[in-house]
Amino acid sequence: MWSKIVCGGLLVVVAGLMVGGCDNYADVEETPVIRMGLVQAPSTLDPRYATDAVSNRVCRLLYRGLVDFDDQLRPTPDLASWQVLSPRHYRFTLNDSIPPFSDGRQLTSADVVATYESVLREDSISPHRSGLSVIDRIEQVDDATVDFFLARPDALFPGRLTLSILPATSAALPRLAPDQLIGNGAFKLVSWPAPEQVLLERRRDGQQVELLRVADATVRALKLIRGEIDLVQNDLPSELIGWLRDQPGVKVEQAAGSNYSYLGFNFDDPVSGDPLIREAIALAIDRQAIIDALLGGGARRAESVLPPDHWAGGRGIEPTEYDPQRAAELVAMFRERGGEPTLSYKVSTDALRLRIAAAIKQQLEAVGLTINIESHEWGTFYGDIKAGRFQLYSLAWVGIKMPDIFRYLFHSTAIPPEGANRGRFNAAQVDQLIAQAEGATMAEQGELYAQLQQQLADHRPYVSLWYENHTLVARRTLTGYPLSRDGNYDGLMVAQKMTMNSEGARRP
Amino acid sequence: MVIIRHVAAALLVILGVSLAVFVLTHVIPGDPVEVMLGERASTADRAALAKAYGLDRPLTAQMVDYYQGLLKLDLGESLFQHRPVVELISERLAATVELAGAAMAVALVVALVLGLVSAWYARTWVDQGARVLSLLGVSIPNFWLGPLLILFGSVYLGWFPVSGRDGLSSLVLPAITLGTALAAIVARMLRNSLLEIAEADFVRTARAKGLGEWTILWRHSLRNALLPVVTLVGLQIGAILGGAVIVETVFSWPGIGRLTVEAIQSRDYPLVQGCVLLIATIYVLVNLLTDVVYGLIDPRIRLAGS
Repeated sequence: MWSKIVCGGLLVVVAGLMVGGCDNYADVEETPVIRMGLVQAPSTLDPRYATDAVSNRVCRLLYRGLVDFDDQLRPTPDLASWQVLSPRHYRFTLNDSIPPFSDGRQLTSADVVATYESVLREDSISPHRSGLSVIDRIEQVDDATVDFFLARPDALFPGRLTLSILPATSAALPRLAPDQLIGNGAFKLVSWPAPEQVLLERRRDGQQVELLRVADATVRALKLIRGEIDLVQNDLPSELIGWLRDQPGVKVEQAAGSNYSYLGFNFDDPVSGDPLIREAIALAIDRQAIIDALLGGGARRAESVLPPDHWAGGRGIEPTEYDPQRAAELVAMFRERGGEPTLSYKVSTDALRLRIAAAIKQQLEAVGLTINIESHEWGTFYGDIKAGRFQLYSLAWVGIKMPDIFRYLFHSTAIPPEGANRGRFNAAQVDQLIAQAEGATMAEQGELYAQLQQQLADHRPYVSLWYENHTLVARRTLTGYPLSRDGNYDGLMVAQKMTMNSEGARRP
Repeated sequence: MVIIRHVAAALLVILGVSLAVFVLTHVIPGDPVEVMLGERASTADRAALAKAYGLDRPLTAQMVDYYQGLLKLDLGESLFQHRPVVELISERLAATVELAGAAMAVALVVALVLGLVSAWYARTWVDQGARVLSLLGVSIPNFWLGPLLILFGSVYLGWFPVSGRDGLSSLVLPAITLGTALAAIVARMLRNSLLEIAEADFVRTARAKGLGEWTILWRHSLRNALLPVVTLVGLQIGAILGGAVIVETVFSWPGIGRLTVEAIQSRDYPLVQGCVLLIATIYVLVNLLTDVVYGLIDPRIRLAGS
């Protein structure tokens, strides 16, 4: 009796699945909504608490800040232009043509003051508070003017004011519900029904954009082919990009990026801290071969943290050329001095990073080094790197805009947790140049940071690898999506989607 | 009495798991404060945030709070989503139950058919074919089978959506992916069990009474052969829930598995604790239920228990 009931029930369920589940998905419904696949969902859309790249990029669509960056990553006016009244006093004046908030209210200087004060409050747990600690006080002059008074002179100060502006009523609240996420950006939030699904509407023309989290890379690619999503920006391994390039209905575009990949050394370690070994490693890696083979050509070689097209980039640095013979000589010299050139190389568990690590290991072993790759889950890997438990590791810096990163990465006082000088690098000349650049005007800083980057290229606390390109993989029905250099989603502000009209013709 | 003993043992296991989860989540490398504030936060800001969330307090004090909340079925608040853990879990639980239930149904139907056919045609090419299928089912990992099914079922045939949870059609591929390994294991177990029982006295008696082979198989052998299968299915619930972590990721299925992975990645301690505790509780309860079902299938066990 029981077995009959169980078997019957199971059969009904499975038959239901098969009959009801089989639908005709051959023609995916042509929706006018632009659907973008993301590897990660935004963790918050409250700009005061956004730290991860996706949250920041989506916030950029919903809100605007006082300042943005131009092509060379110089601070440039967005909502407001500024005057330097004294090294410690900046006046920001809101532009005349500011769009209103999505609820119709006009943005005023009171909203600016409220937003910044909500971040700077004593009890604020905003991650942006540290970056704004230079602000001593903020004063509203009139409806369109705000004065910022600084605790100390800071030539890069305008570049720190990229925080998205909220209405004062929202800024007064510690946490915002979805209906309180109001900005004056190009989009407004329509709904956020699940953490992995965000629906936005372009205010200019009502075009809707749906952001969908699809965690698996292969599935993202298959959804693109099926037309269930219209675009993916980055977030696809090079082998899938190569395959997608050959698929009908899909296009691949690339643009230069500024995300910097590098190898880091531990200066406290007798092997990786030795200049001969660092030089040998730099010369032994054939970066172009790795870029071509593992990144599908989608990167450009790097010589410094900041790319040469950055206003403070290291333009004069002589490129390190692949020279395995010289590298082998340097390793031999290290051996003659009694050293044992064996290094552990720490890397995360990301499949592409592991493949790159394997290629680097092969190239380094070809010149006489012995490399042991140690791959750890992110928390363990990152904990080890910060604690200095490594000889050699590889990582990347993403979204760097300001040259003050050099203090954070290379100043002798920036050992974690005070900074990210994980390799315990210590050079008096570098410290001096950092201090000198920070005290200079922006016009002088370009030259000083160039000198600093040359110093770093000589000392080699990092071996610069490459800047990875940004890649757009999209349906051919999506047009006019420009890739930005920092990987933001601004292309959605102008992209158009062609859908089929009743006569079967494509229309925007 | 037997059931009370089983329930008491189950409660002890859940208590042990909750303790292990609490300790493990706090000792694994990674810091939720750093995930929330980013690497460039000042030491003072980190300390302030840790204080705000009570993460600066001694582990024992945090543990006391945790158990006090547990007694009131309050699993705390997610550090990142700022919502009660119970609320987040209940939102996702239905999706996982739906997926696990469908996977189980697919697995059992396929296993019954495959097992019966294998036993009926024992030691023939049909049996060998079923063996190969079972071997494949056990060997193919979910993270490979899922995309393969999507490629054929969605991209080439266009029958199902690629991923997401949107109606019955979106359930088919994840259920097949998750149920395949279980189907293979159960089919082999059922086939062997049926062949063993075929030599039993009561089967010979049934045959001597003139009953047809199919009637003997269906009415006498199958019922007895199901006993080890029920045990196996009960034990495999854990595997189904474990497999759901991968399948939910591949198919963007908004269930507990994905929630757990996301919570671990962000070091959201209360959410990790809540999710793992729930999975452990389900596992323990299903095992308890297996013992009860045993009694229903085999009256001798019921009698022995009483």
